[in-house]
Amino acid sequence: MVLLSAPRWLRSRLTDRFWRVQEVLKYARHFRGRKNRCYKLAVGSVRRAFVRSTKARKEKKRFLRALWITRIEAASLEHGLKYPAFISYLLKSQVELNRKVIADLAIYEPKTFKSLAALAQRRRQEGFLAALGDGKEPEGIFSRMVQHY
Amino acid sequence: CLIVLVCPHQASTLLSFVFWHQSSQSTSPQQGLVAKISLTSSLWPEVKHPDPVEEAKYHPEVVQKVNQLIASGHYRSLFAVVHFTSKQWKITSEDLIVMDNALEAECGDRIWMGKVLLVGADDFTLMGRPLLGKDLVHVEATVIEKTKSWPQISMHFWSRHNYQRKKIIVKPSDCPTDKQHIDFPLFV
Repeated sequence: MVLLSAPRWLRSRLTDRFWRVQEVLKYARHFRGRKNRCYKLAVGSVRRAFVRSTKARKEKKRFLRALWITRIEAASLEHGLKYPAFISYLLKSQVELNRKVIADLAIYEPKTFKSLAALAQRRRQEGFLAALGDGKEPEGIFSRMVQHY
Repeated sequence: CLIVLVCPHQASTLLSFVFWHQSSQSTSPQQGLVAKISLTSSLWPEVKHPDPVEEAKYHPEVVQKVNQLIASGHYRSLFAVVHFTSKQWKITSEDLIVMDNALEAECGDRIWMGKVLLVGADDFTLMGRPLLGKDLVHVEATVIEKTKSWPQISMHFWSRHNYQRKKIIVKPSDCPTDKQHIDFPLFV
């Protein structure tokens, strides 16, 4: 004989609803409007915020690189060089600094940046001489390739 | 023959194009006597780099001067650009770096950073092509902390498709390695 009234007295009730709701609301506390208080509105907003932050992690890299390039362009124009010339002739002189570091140098180490710009300009002029000089001028000093083994 | 471009910045691209198409004869912009307006010269001061031939005479002097400065220790603080964990860092002494990975060193171990790209002080800079020699510069750091990163949330959601995935990513982060020492070990 099965006792059917026992399961009806012992109901299974949700006892930690408060904490489940707080798990979502804690990420929404700095939002604007009712979605920082009301669970129903917060769920969607928090979900969209998480999705946007995952996508933004990829875009942050692109954005920062563009920012560095803008800053290097501004700094190299102050020294009379355009960005493509600066970067290409710096690479041709075998100086392999990345854009993040060059932008930091342009902000915090202006003398070092000026020397980098002078190096790029000098290598550029040597390149022009080599291309247009009909082979009579001596080879440029900064155009020599250094090899480490 | 060295062709010197003394043209305004905005028109320089046009004029340079014209110059390179002519035969290798140096021409100067004497034909068009343009009146001076606010845009004739560039908006920032013109920078003139020194003549290469003259400069070559000063090269050994400059190298000697820099050597003397380094040997006598006439620098207040050095900064270095170091290639470490596939990134480039600009570091000075008593600097903190946080990296997004685990190093094999324990807390308190000293690390020697071998790939130095650039070293500079107030008066001089040494640029490596692309790296500086290990007998030239010595950069050391101490591992301070080995922790995990803050819990990053990776969430994917497609609306109207009943699809959502949420993942919490915790990476090991060898939190700060304190860069304590940049030095010139051997200097002749």
